[in-house]
Amino acid sequence: MNKEINVKLVMRMLGSLLLSEATALLLVFFLSFVFKESDGYYFLITSGVCYLIGLLGILLGRNASQEMGKREGSLVVTLAWVIFSLFGALPFFISKNIPSYTDAFFETISGFTTTGATILNNIEELSHTMLFWRSFTQWMGGLGIIVIFLALLPMFGTSGAQLFAAEASGPTKDKIHPKITETAKRLFLIYFLLTFAETILLRIGGMNWFDAVCHSFTTIATGGFSTKQNSIAYWNSPFIQYIIILFMILAGVNFSLYYFGFKNKFKKIKENEEFRYFLIVLFSFAIIIFISLIDFSQPVSFHKIENSWRDALFTITSLMTTTGFTIVDYMQWAPFAWIILLIVMLTGASAGSTAGGIKMIRIVISFKFCYYEFKRLIHPNAVVPVRYSGHLVQEDVITRVLAFVLLYLIVAIFGILILCVSGVGFIESIGALISCLSCVGPGLGLVGPMGNFAYLPVFSKWFLSFIMLLGRLELFTVLVLFTPAFWKK
Amino acid sequence: MKIIIVGAGEVGTHLAKLLARENMEITLLDENPERLKDLDLNYDLLTYEGSPTSINNLKEIGVENADLFIGVTPYESVNMTACMIATNLGAVKTLARINNYEYLLPQNKEFFKKLGVDYLIYPEVLAANEIVESLKTSWLRQNMSFCNNALILLGIKVRSNAVIINKKFSTGFFDHNRYRVVAIKRGSQTIIPKGSDEILANDIVYFITTPENLEFVKEQAGKEDFPIRNVMFMGGSRIAQKTLFNLPSHIHAKVLERDKEKSLLLANKFPNALIINADARNIDIIKQEGIEEADAFVAATSNSEANILACLVAKQFGVKKTIAEVENLDYISLAESLDIGAVINKKMIAASYIYQITLHANVLNVRNLTAADAEVVEFVAKPTSKITRSKIKDLKLPENVNIGGIVRNGIGSIVNGDTIIKPDDHVIVFCISSSIRKIEPFFN
Repeated sequence: MNKEINVKLVMRMLGSLLLSEATALLLVFFLSFVFKESDGYYFLITSGVCYLIGLLGILLGRNASQEMGKREGSLVVTLAWVIFSLFGALPFFISKNIPSYTDAFFETISGFTTTGATILNNIEELSHTMLFWRSFTQWMGGLGIIVIFLALLPMFGTSGAQLFAAEASGPTKDKIHPKITETAKRLFLIYFLLTFAETILLRIGGMNWFDAVCHSFTTIATGGFSTKQNSIAYWNSPFIQYIIILFMILAGVNFSLYYFGFKNKFKKIKENEEFRYFLIVLFSFAIIIFISLIDFSQPVSFHKIENSWRDALFTITSLMTTTGFTIVDYMQWAPFAWIILLIVMLTGASAGSTAGGIKMIRIVISFKFCYYEFKRLIHPNAVVPVRYSGHLVQEDVITRVLAFVLLYLIVAIFGILILCVSGVGFIESIGALISCLSCVGPGLGLVGPMGNFAYLPVFSKWFLSFIMLLGRLELFTVLVLFTPAFWKK
Repeated sequence: MKIIIVGAGEVGTHLAKLLARENMEITLLDENPERLKDLDLNYDLLTYEGSPTSINNLKEIGVENADLFIGVTPYESVNMTACMIATNLGAVKTLARINNYEYLLPQNKEFFKKLGVDYLIYPEVLAANEIVESLKTSWLRQNMSFCNNALILLGIKVRSNAVIINKKFSTGFFDHNRYRVVAIKRGSQTIIPKGSDEILANDIVYFITTPENLEFVKEQAGKEDFPIRNVMFMGGSRIAQKTLFNLPSHIHAKVLERDKEKSLLLANKFPNALIINADARNIDIIKQEGIEEADAFVAATSNSEANILACLVAKQFGVKKTIAEVENLDYISLAESLDIGAVINKKMIAASYIYQITLHANVLNVRNLTAADAEVVEFVAKPTSKITRSKIKDLKLPENVNIGGIVRNGIGSIVNGDTIIKPDDHVIVFCISSSIRKIEPFFN
């Protein structure tokens, strides 16, 4: 028997989360003075609205009992992401930079979920303040709204554990400290240091400070918003591209591995199978595409080879870590390459990183399980438990992993169907759906690296917004809200 | 404070959840992943699958930085070994759960300290002590004494014949010089009384008073004293054995034990008690063995359900006092509403004992009130601490906390709003669980 959902507590938590968004907006308002731009004003208005509604939520939720269950956890996390996007879209909308609210919402949720799919036809006409907010949404969403909140404001007390679990529902335990707020602080520190290091290196590589910061935000969050219409291709600098490749890979690694690195527990990193397979898959596919890109009918030069290698590696890394930066129009490549790109979009990088997708760990466990199934066919009574990183994987974990992979594929297939029905072309449907579900950004065809999502019908945009949220919160947290059991008393 | 708990059994898990609610870093280690399942998702703690006695595993969870290491697996030797390893790896304090009464003897304390085990806990003995206490005075649910009996805390179930019921506290009917009502347990609710509250029939009322006013409280609560001479025990569990061991000599005990071998063993151990090899759930047998003449019935088998039911049966036969050992925490309020008398839970008793170790202030005693989900704490007021600075009514004490009495120079007295606490007073504070830490700063 279920108890009634603690609505008051949910309101209070959402209220305090909204206050933190209001503070972030206020920060952008002050930054607009640095850029000497006038549209900081819109952020001040939005911030005021957020403060008011946030306070109202806290007021309505006062005297709430502290009882926090799994259902409240799922509800708070899902609604937090929706509310953040609803209000985060306001500056774009009221400044008329993006005249349609549908588009503004799409752009913002694409930011918070670190997808990086855009509806803007000319990014460069936006002001610095707007561009900064766009990148900043990705940076907040990358580590997770709740995690950042837990790290900076120790307000949720013990219910933090529930929220953390609902937002980061990986198959392995990622707690690196007994206290959830301490875990969040350490993760945030790693996140911050990575961003800081990349900013410095990009500045050295020739970007100005503004672009360096914005691109670091979106690389470490594996988001993929650029401040330039041509994305990273704008700079045409191998150094910048290699730096970004490096940091995309770093952002695709489970953050707890860095912590073990700090603690001198290198054995843990070495025996982490996910890390190993992540690199193996990444480089194998990069090499395959690299070979397919070399044109052997022409004389081969080092310059050309390096160029192909860079294109292949950058694209695979960008899509596998679900970042979505582009330096080349991969729609010009052979169609088999598109399939490979779709595969890496689906697999994604590591659990516990900022990347989306199914995550390598689930792929590894599923494959092992299938492989052992063959063994069981031959030796029906053999005991062949699935081992991962030297540990036995519990059966309920395997079930959860298999259910996740299955559900992911089901959502993908039916999502493609719905997109097609809503009037999107076949190849675009596949590309856009998988890209949004895995929080990548560019898809295939018209929504590919050279195109954008602007031309899609209104319904498709709302549907894809929902898909992005689904992918970012790893399906179950959001989908459980749509089950009758969740609401039944 | 970093605390490592090994053994995710009932005591370990209960303790971990209790401490995780506060600002403590809890790591819970167990060999069996089943027992750790989902704990770290729902509570603010870290679980770790590993052996309690593996040096490697203990290092892995950072035992060298632990302020407190708690060994509460069911196995005494595992707990002892784990504590010794932990101490030598750098844990500050260690505590082991044991099953051997010999270890608890005061002269062995230093010996174990040398070995690296600072505290020993024997939950069954703690539970048995509580049973013995409650058998000594028949009309009390709970009876605790503080500072060599200078103050006592009484838990009494008041019936409709009590004079204090249906009177608001603001009417001034209550003689606050002679006793003080610190809490009322009604249904599943624990109430810290204010002026507008009143006592109703069937409430359990907690009084703080001095021993000389015991009779007065008895009158006020409408209770009658009846001597307990015959006690019937269901099952010869470890708790029952420890109770028999400490029972005053004027009480005759009858033990019904199902197992033949165990019955023999008991008969050998306790020549003064009558051991009957029979199942106490068989009504004919307990009738035959004179349940109607028994003054008290103690059900302390490992089966909570059987204990509750057996006590209900005993009540029907007119046994005035029944005591049930209820391990399942969810059953406690149920048992309470069934009116089966005192409820003992060794887990909670053990947990509040361990909890005491984690407190910083000068805490002498933390005692658990099973039925009320509350604790009674004995603090010592330090000089210049906040509590000594003003009258109690001006202190702005946290909610769910009630100061009951103080002991000054060995003499107990009841407090009222105008009392000023002096340094080195022993203060008896009643608080709903998990509020202890809020009151702690007042005494530092």
